[in-house]
Amino acid sequence: MKRRTILAIAGLFAFGLGGAGPAHAADIKIGAQVPTSGSEAPYGIDMLNAIRMAADQINAKGGLLGEKISILPGDSACDPQAAVNAASKLVSENITGVVGGYCSGATLPTLKVYGDAHVPFVITASNSTELIGANPGNAFMINSTGFDQVKTAVALFKAKGIKTLSIINEGDAYSANLAQLTRKAWEKMGNKVVDYEVVSKGQQDFSPVVTRIRERHPDAVFWTAYYADGALLIKQLRQGGYTGMIALGDGNNSPKLFQLAGAAAEGVYCFSNPTANFLPAAKTFIADYQKQFHQPPGPYSALSYDGMMLMAHAIKVAGSTDKMKIIAALKATHAFPGIAGPISFTKENTLARSNFVVLLGKGGQWTLYTGPGAPAAP
Amino acid sequence: MPLYEVLLQQFANGLILGSFYALVALGYSMVYGVIKLLNFAHGDLYMTGAFAGFGALSLFSGWLGGGWGGIVPAILFSMVAVGALGVIIDRVAYRPLRQAPKLSVLITALAVSMLLENVALAFTGGQYTAFTTNLGFAGVDLGMVHVTYTQMVLVGASVVLMVVLELFVSGTMHGKAMRAIAIDQDACRLMGIDVDRTIALTFLIGSALAAAAGVLAGVYYGSINFFMGFLIGLKAFTAAVIGGIGSIPGAMLGGILLGLLEAFGTQIPGVGSEWKDVFVFAFLILFLVFRPTGLLGRPEVERM
Amino acid sequence: MSAGGGGAGEAAVGVQRSERSIRKGAGMALLLLVLLLVPRFANNYYLEVLSEAWLYVLLCLGLNIVVGFAGLLDLGYAAFFAVGAYTAGIVTIRLGQSFWLSLPIAVVTATLAGVIIGGPTLRLRSDYLAIVTLGFGEMVRITVRNLAITGGASGLVGIERPHLFGYALHSIGAFYYVFLLLAVLGIVASHRLENSRIGRAWKYVRSDEDAARAMGINHAAVKLAAYALGAIFAAIGGCFYATKMTAISPETFTFNQSLLILLGVVLGGRGKIPGVILGALVIVIFPELFRDVGSMRMLVFAVSLLLIMLFRPAGIWPERWR
Repeated sequence: MKRRTILAIAGLFAFGLGGAGPAHAADIKIGAQVPTSGSEAPYGIDMLNAIRMAADQINAKGGLLGEKISILPGDSACDPQAAVNAASKLVSENITGVVGGYCSGATLPTLKVYGDAHVPFVITASNSTELIGANPGNAFMINSTGFDQVKTAVALFKAKGIKTLSIINEGDAYSANLAQLTRKAWEKMGNKVVDYEVVSKGQQDFSPVVTRIRERHPDAVFWTAYYADGALLIKQLRQGGYTGMIALGDGNNSPKLFQLAGAAAEGVYCFSNPTANFLPAAKTFIADYQKQFHQPPGPYSALSYDGMMLMAHAIKVAGSTDKMKIIAALKATHAFPGIAGPISFTKENTLARSNFVVLLGKGGQWTLYTGPGAPAAP
Repeated sequence: MPLYEVLLQQFANGLILGSFYALVALGYSMVYGVIKLLNFAHGDLYMTGAFAGFGALSLFSGWLGGGWGGIVPAILFSMVAVGALGVIIDRVAYRPLRQAPKLSVLITALAVSMLLENVALAFTGGQYTAFTTNLGFAGVDLGMVHVTYTQMVLVGASVVLMVVLELFVSGTMHGKAMRAIAIDQDACRLMGIDVDRTIALTFLIGSALAAAAGVLAGVYYGSINFFMGFLIGLKAFTAAVIGGIGSIPGAMLGGILLGLLEAFGTQIPGVGSEWKDVFVFAFLILFLVFRPTGLLGRPEVERM
Repeated sequence: MSAGGGGAGEAAVGVQRSERSIRKGAGMALLLLVLLLVPRFANNYYLEVLSEAWLYVLLCLGLNIVVGFAGLLDLGYAAFFAVGAYTAGIVTIRLGQSFWLSLPIAVVTATLAGVIIGGPTLRLRSDYLAIVTLGFGEMVRITVRNLAITGGASGLVGIERPHLFGYALHSIGAFYYVFLLLAVLGIVASHRLENSRIGRAWKYVRSDEDAARAMGINHAAVKLAAYALGAIFAAIGGCFYATKMTAISPETFTFNQSLLILLGVVLGGRGKIPGVILGALVIVIFPELFRDVGSMRMLVFAVSLLLIMLFRPAGIWPERWR
């Protein structure tokens, strides 16, 4: 009995290690490195959907270089080791390029894996400045960095006559970083942060924080984490009687916020890439996405869609699946028309120009805010 | 806001937060009291309950409305459905391991937790679901503190459930059987108590309570997701331990205490909110060092 | 095995036993040879997964000292892993010292941490122990998340990769050997500990603490030694993990990480070294096997865990309790 069980388990291992067969050999394989398990899965699935949708649309129009694109998902689980495993597996399956990258901590160690194999990598969500230094040259970041967002945020606060600020984050690298940068910039201008809160991911009850905010009555509350928990915070802030300004980081740019927060999301501000329905291309994107997946896109869906389109464009320019040529083509990208704004790269392979805009919640959807403090039109 | 008002409001906040912890902790503590199992899947039953309630409400609200008229049947449906699920989980995953080391059952509980979470993930595609009801924000003002009817129902429901449960466990034959099993399973078998059925009953009640808490949370916060059971499972476990794991009034007390601790924790002067959880855990550890059996737990000698 | 039989029988058993141990030794040598040759044939993906597997063998063996040998529950083991990883990060990045210096520092720090965590738990029985260790684990994670020296929520980036005898540890192939060596050292150390005086004391305390105390075993010292030694395993693993990943962040050292390591120990068969090794391999390799299932992979993993526990309630390869 014992021996048989052990043999059976050994057999399973052997099966798994040998049995990972390749997809269709002729396809152009693109990896999609996003978390599809664990607490970050909602955001990862939003991205994967968009990448798939882009590939489907390209395939429907006859594919790329006469071949079909097939998407190989690599679950990073938002964990460095799992991400490295996923990346190594994608490389071993001879992918032509990778799109995705969510959770900077998990994206970071994969840069070397893709770098060693010279695989072009379009990073569509992770935007930690740490990624820039660790980039071996094959990775391209199409999300603006935290600095750009802080600049947009502070400009809006100033124009709106905000004096005191409350900043709330979830203690993860992304939201904590944005919160700290904002605090620094805000205090440097001689203003005050009267309340700085760290809440737990997945927390449903924000009432202690709401009471605290009412006690300190800041002119504005800035939430730097994501929409799912943010929706609850907005609702509870308004129900708790807070009437000041509420501003949200770019992880909240999703129509889903309105489904979850309802009327409380009216009049809130969000700093984001321009993906609302005022861009014609974005409008069809939202409709297509809703049709294919029966839900609105998430905060990084549009960027992920752009990332896949950009990758396809670079492969077309390179005229082959030669990875070095694709990297060169990506590097030469100039004003590629993404639905989240035009894409060009700096010497460091980051987005050449911040295209942050300010969105305003109005009538159950995001609209472009053009009042005082809004950045110049992209 | 003057300070006394802030503190009063924080007290109300803590009480409501604590009621949720208490409801989930009750089931945790009950199961532990009877079969000495830390049921890691308990938080996920809370999540499953929220989804079951959501499904039921979507069906009922057509003719019962989205107010309490629809919510109460939804809660009852969810309690029955998840109660049954709890019994099935016990039958499939825990009962075969009754004679195995306790830690092994802990691992199957973990596996069940993962399973429930990932089934919910697969069904929802990871989407957060809006749990819409048409409960207003109406309520009464106690001084400057606004308390909604929903909040009153919530606190009332957990108190009532606790009292009923305590009466059940201390007063009825089934309750007596549960307590007897906690002391010596083999002796119970010899005395003609149907051990497996009594344990199944424990799971039924514990899971139903978690389901009730889940639906109430959905109604109260308005949003549910596949991962919502994780954090509260951890909190409920903590609450059950503070109160003295295995004790029903203890679980209630522990839940409320933890809720209050978290609410007042945000008011500690001079301490950044990023350190709040460190203080909560430090308090907990010191507390257990000086009172190793929790608030209302009985001292006992046991072996792993 | 029954004790009876004549002299001839005993001798036969002796011959059988020595034959078996020779065969066992030969099997081990062959296995080791195969493992040493793996990098010649396997691609980087297999090497990554196997390196991770060897790391978890070390971690699970460390936790096994606490949970398996001494019979104490620990839900905060990831804290020691964090101690090691962050020591390596701070020594190389903040202090600009050689990676190798971080090893002795990590050992000392982990021993201290083990004693600090073990201290308050001495009075507690299993389930209260669970919440206290869980609390410590969370406190360590939140602390490294908040402090500036540990890089806050973003963690530490750019940890140096060390040289060994003038040979740079750079490729995954090199790290495969490092982690294989660590796993082998962990196995040898565990084996030595198990059969030592303290190993017997642990098992005595585990099976009957009161009797052990009555026999003059200092139960406090014995339990603290278990926590400290278990911590050292994790800390050494943490140092090498940090240098392999070159970046660490608080998200790696969550409660889930502690649970995963515990899962490996119990799944394999706590207290039994080959069992624990097998358990570690299962928790690393199974989720990888199921990658092709796509988004359902953790679901399949959960079902397989459940099935394993149902068919092998005491673990895949359990210890025989005497």
